[in-house]
Amino acid sequence: MNVIVNRSAARWLPSRHRFALAQLVAFTHLRQGKPQDANGPDHLILHIDRDQSAAEAYAVAVWVFVTVAAYLAAILPVPQPLAIIVAIPLASIVIHIPIVVGGLLLRLILGDNDHVKIVSVGTMSLLFVWSFYVARGDSWARFVAWFFFAVLACNAIAAAILWLLRAAVQAEESRCAR
Amino acid sequence: MTQPSWWHRFSVRGVFWRQLLRFAILNVPPWIEPIVMASWSLFFLMWGSARRAVIRNLGVIKPGSFAIVNFFRCYRLFWNYAWTIADNVRFKEARTIPDWEFTGWKFFQEMQERDGGAILLTAHMGSYDLGAHLFAETSSRRIVMVRAPEADPETRAFEQDRAAEGLRIEFNTRSTDLAIDLLDVIREGNIVAIQGDRVTGEIGFLPATVFGKPTRVPAGPFALALAARVPIFPVFVVRLGRRRYRLMTARPIELVRSRDRDDDFRRAVEQWVEELEHVIRDCWSQWFTFEPYWPELAA
Repeated sequence: MNVIVNRSAARWLPSRHRFALAQLVAFTHLRQGKPQDANGPDHLILHIDRDQSAAEAYAVAVWVFVTVAAYLAAILPVPQPLAIIVAIPLASIVIHIPIVVGGLLLRLILGDNDHVKIVSVGTMSLLFVWSFYVARGDSWARFVAWFFFAVLACNAIAAAILWLLRAAVQAEESRCAR
Repeated sequence: MTQPSWWHRFSVRGVFWRQLLRFAILNVPPWIEPIVMASWSLFFLMWGSARRAVIRNLGVIKPGSFAIVNFFRCYRLFWNYAWTIADNVRFKEARTIPDWEFTGWKFFQEMQERDGGAILLTAHMGSYDLGAHLFAETSSRRIVMVRAPEADPETRAFEQDRAAEGLRIEFNTRSTDLAIDLLDVIREGNIVAIQGDRVTGEIGFLPATVFGKPTRVPAGPFALALAARVPIFPVFVVRLGRRRYRLMTARPIELVRSRDRDDDFRRAVEQWVEELEHVIRDCWSQWFTFEPYWPELAA
């Protein structure tokens, strides 16, 4: 089991984050090297896993939810204020569709295994295509779609920076894990 | 024995929901997880009996609180429960563990390092599989969990098929045989973990006063501690956030044998209740009690 014991700074290990943007933010925090929290727990065990960051998971979830809700609100044939209200529960249902359909299909084809990676790529691809379609339209939701692509662009730039800094990132991770 | 109806599997304690949770763990991307959790926590608020029980229990824990506020607190409790059971299944399916913080580390170490076995007394909080795994990772001692079986036979079979490796679970339904087995486990220097906050089924109990109201707590852990002459360590697993838990170990309860056995039990129960109240007061959104806890609330 890949764990780090009694080093609170290890919360900011880039390897505990999934997306490049989050990894870059984490790396910046790690470089700042804040001292150990004196009021922290008696003992601490941190797991090294790409999906361990709560802030990242919640931020991406809110972003995806707001994006989907905005796309739905823009196409609902009711007045906008009502459309926004209806779009909120509808978005949570729509987000389930690729998981349920994709998950069931993958279960039929590949068996009863872990399909998170495939469903993750598939869902993000669907969102990408939908955003592309909305971005080319003339509804107000195009601004949300543009923001979606702006975030993707920032993530790509962060990935490039991280690639350039890969030696420093690895050194910092090793120093923290020691 | 009559076969349960086909729709029984869709009842709130039916096996369908366990299967659906496992399906979600195997298919939901982590960056969508909070949306899925929020949606399903809201869906399960339709579970009327549990919702009403939680709101009533909260009314006792937080005297003078408004029902509408407790309704939203109830949602928070359901949200925590959803994450906790999801983390439990994720651990079983993908061996993904959360981050752990410890408080009362010196008591935890005392439990690990002492000669002879011990009893770990806990409440319906956090996840026993995750807690037991953590224990297995940090200790050379074996841990045996005692708990009530699932009410639904299909659900019970489903959970037994997917029990975490290295974890021995005993059900509290066979009380006489189990007491002797557990005594042996402790005498071999191992740990027995028991949930001591509520009485489920036909098991022995002791009277207690929790948050100023009369109720009952299981007698088993106290009787076992007295028979085996070992301390009881109150241990609570509390969810702090996404994939982040705290393991809180409190001062051990020492049962001193005197001429008055009832008085020995009374003192031990009082100390346990003090710890329990303290944790529940601070972590009310983590106490997964979906029935009216106090008999007067059930009436």
